[in-house]
Amino acid sequence: MNTVFQGEHLLPGQIGQFFIVLSFGAALLSFLSYYFATTDDAGKLNSSWQRLGRIGFIVNSIGILGMGICLFYILYNHYFEYHYAWSYTSRSLPVYYLVSGFWNGQEGGFLLFAFWQAVLGNLLIVKAKSWERPVMTIVALSQVILATMVLGIDILGTRIGSSPFLLLRNSGIEAPIFARPDYLSFIKDGQGMNPSLQNYWMIIHPPTLFLGFASLVVPFAYAVAGLWQKRYKEWVQPAISYTLFGAMILGTGVIMGSFWAYESLNFGGFWAWDPVENGSIFPWLTIVAALHVLIVFKNSGHSYFTATFLVLISFVLVWYTSFLSRSGILGESSVHAFTDLGMFWQLVIGILIFLFITIGILIWRWKELPITKKDEETYSREFWMFVGSVFLALSCFHLIVVTSVPVWNAMFGTKIAPPADAVKHYNVIQSAFAFVVTILTGFTQFLKYKKTDITRFFITTGVYFLFAILITALIVAVTGVYKLNVVFVLVMCGSVYSVVANAKVLVDAFKGKFKLAGAAVAHLGFGFLLIGAVIAAGTSKVVSKNESGELAVQGFDEKAGNVKENIMIYKNVPVKMGDYTVTYLGDSISTPEHFYKVDYKRLDANGKVLENFVLKPKVQASREAGFASSPDTKHYLTSDLYTHITAVPSQGFNMQGGEAAHDEGNDDKNYDEPVPHEVVVGDTIRYRDGFMILKSINKQATVQNIKVGPNDIAIGANIEVHANNTIYNAEPVFMIKDGNAFDFSRKVDDAGLKLRFSRINPENKKIEITVFQQPKNKKPWIVMRAITFPYINFFWSGTIIMVIGFLLSIQRRNKELKTV
Amino acid sequence: MKKSAIFGLVVIAVAIAVIISVYSSSSTYATFAEAQVAGTELHVIGHLNKKKELVYDATKDANYFSFYMNDNKGEERKVIINSTKPEDFERSEQLVVTGQMVGNEFHASKILMKCPSKYTQDKLDVTEVKAKQASI
Repeated sequence: MNTVFQGEHLLPGQIGQFFIVLSFGAALLSFLSYYFATTDDAGKLNSSWQRLGRIGFIVNSIGILGMGICLFYILYNHYFEYHYAWSYTSRSLPVYYLVSGFWNGQEGGFLLFAFWQAVLGNLLIVKAKSWERPVMTIVALSQVILATMVLGIDILGTRIGSSPFLLLRNSGIEAPIFARPDYLSFIKDGQGMNPSLQNYWMIIHPPTLFLGFASLVVPFAYAVAGLWQKRYKEWVQPAISYTLFGAMILGTGVIMGSFWAYESLNFGGFWAWDPVENGSIFPWLTIVAALHVLIVFKNSGHSYFTATFLVLISFVLVWYTSFLSRSGILGESSVHAFTDLGMFWQLVIGILIFLFITIGILIWRWKELPITKKDEETYSREFWMFVGSVFLALSCFHLIVVTSVPVWNAMFGTKIAPPADAVKHYNVIQSAFAFVVTILTGFTQFLKYKKTDITRFFITTGVYFLFAILITALIVAVTGVYKLNVVFVLVMCGSVYSVVANAKVLVDAFKGKFKLAGAAVAHLGFGFLLIGAVIAAGTSKVVSKNESGELAVQGFDEKAGNVKENIMIYKNVPVKMGDYTVTYLGDSISTPEHFYKVDYKRLDANGKVLENFVLKPKVQASREAGFASSPDTKHYLTSDLYTHITAVPSQGFNMQGGEAAHDEGNDDKNYDEPVPHEVVVGDTIRYRDGFMILKSINKQATVQNIKVGPNDIAIGANIEVHANNTIYNAEPVFMIKDGNAFDFSRKVDDAGLKLRFSRINPENKKIEITVFQQPKNKKPWIVMRAITFPYINFFWSGTIIMVIGFLLSIQRRNKELKTV
Repeated sequence: MKKSAIFGLVVIAVAIAVIISVYSSSSTYATFAEAQVAGTELHVIGHLNKKKELVYDATKDANYFSFYMNDNKGEERKVIINSTKPEDFERSEQLVVTGQMVGNEFHASKILMKCPSKYTQDKLDVTEVKAKQASI
């Protein structure tokens, strides 16, 4: 068994593995040291445990950086003896996609999570002051657990974690070549990257999302520290800034994912309620709810338990999300092809540790929690903020219940399937929650903390509400939202109300109460986001319906889903599609991308061109990977026109990577039976798709690379082909050289024609033109699907506005921190 | 009663409503035989019968695709969907089709396929490796 393998680069992997073990050990040391610093050295100013904890944490950070550098080194140099490099990259990948290859695998995702947590931990070491010891105990614990996920070491016969530095020959793949010492010389290239990940959004979306996930550890750690150290009320103030930060980054990461889906995936939209997508918003919903209740508590002293619980559960949900997407449990309900790395139970343990901390510490300190016995004022802002937060949490609860169906099945041995029309189910129920939440983000703006003047409140609220209803009616009528389920009209109304109410606050803010601007801007953004989402998703229309030539499939009714949403068009044959006339112009390859040019024309009643543009949806193909379609979108201010390819002729696709050799003599079989025509100049030849005219005879015809001698004759027939409303010219040549007759055919590919000047008939002075016509199904075609998304810019701009709002709020809370 | 208690009851009521609504709109995984009886939208898990013909001809109808599938009990039915043929369909390992039976045909509104994608499954392409060996 002591084969010496040739050509392997084991050093970077060994160093990387060393860094993994180092970071694990250092995190463990840091955790224990910080723990003892909190307990044994409590109250001591100069704690050696604390020093040790810091050293441990910094070494842990260095270890994580080291791992990252080793992994990148391996990817960059294409060391395919490593499973990770072999699985996720290939030589043809540009360097900037090697960066996304870094987090293509789950190990890379954990690494990213650990990296951000390390960054935040170092920030806390500098900034947390008196909170450092207990808070860092928790952060270091989280680092320990994360490090076990990438450990890849066998302990007592079970492998703990999955290392990114696993060698291909040790990865469990059975192949006879691994018995050969020179096996590596047969592994020329890696498997490449999933084409849908080769997108610039995949370079920035995962780091943002993981920063969002990682940042939730900070409020979690503060909450635990607060209860542990009995500093029940103090932890809230510093935790608010971090909570705001987490909510902002996580929200941005989620929307970036949706933008990636919209721009480069082919499922036709920006949100599909896929389990993995849902998973990413669980913690966002709870942390946003937590944020509001934290503010309630800070201002009024109410809702302590809810605030603490929501903060704690958010981080547990981060782990639950990890579990859902990484354990393979979603196998039968998600299109996201994540696989089980054999870490199912390890991930479950990860969740349970944080769940036990959450429950344990709340029970332990239950009697001492500063829960007010006094009832809240009904007309106070904090009461309704609290209600809104609970509804956010309930909407999260609904998402969890449905998304976790496979988990319930695994736990209880049931065989429940997710709702058959999942999108509709989610849309309706989540919209109901969204309605309540948006109404609350609206009218709480007119309430004051503690107590409000009731009459005045009802008058202003009523006026604004009436105004919102009028605007809603207008929007609903113009966009056609009224045709949808009434619940969408309600969301629209709630969102509009939220926008107008918060706009009022914003105007007031500019008049002086500037510190309120952050919340108002964030709410405004959220309102716009929902308005955009409802209109775009609710009234998006499939444009690609070809009304002519439809074949009815027997027994098929509308109920059976996306009926006739795809349209097939032949090259250069214009087809009417909705308001547009579309023409497939041709394709071009720029490896690994295959672009299909589709011309869109919009004509007025008189046939005048109002608008003309070309979209280039693409199909990406890496070696063997086949087909990954990416849309191309025409962006207007008020709508988007989205087009993607759903099918192409398979032979057309195989041609990439080297055009199929053109074998002149043999390609006759690609055409219908040839038809000879005897003609003179000026004659017209008719054929299936049009006609052609013999314009003239060229007695000085030339053929490339063939010299015409003094006794030779070369005659060309100038033919004008009229097809597809276009005129093409072709000149087939007839030649007599050294006593032998040759003819050189000419192709008009766009018209699917091949023309031969096959004979001269000296008796009647006619010439013979043989017409080869491609059978209709051999002509190039594409099948595409086009959708319009009205007012989708509200969705994107709403997101940006919301982020600006968060930034303003963070600024405000940080200022408060300094003054306290 | 305290207001917080009333609100607590409201929350519990909503939570129960959520669970009921999920329960009522969730379907079950079924076999073709069960789908035939049920007559409603169901999920059927099974495998593509690779020996039988897959019909997709965009030049005839770009929105018609049919194939034969065996459910987990081994029972075979023709499945029809009004859409294009998903790429790499032939390679699928497992299919989850959502739809209902119409006569003896299953009319699907959605197909979820699990492919042994080279991105997710470790499989050395040994044939390729062998070919290279031979060339040395």
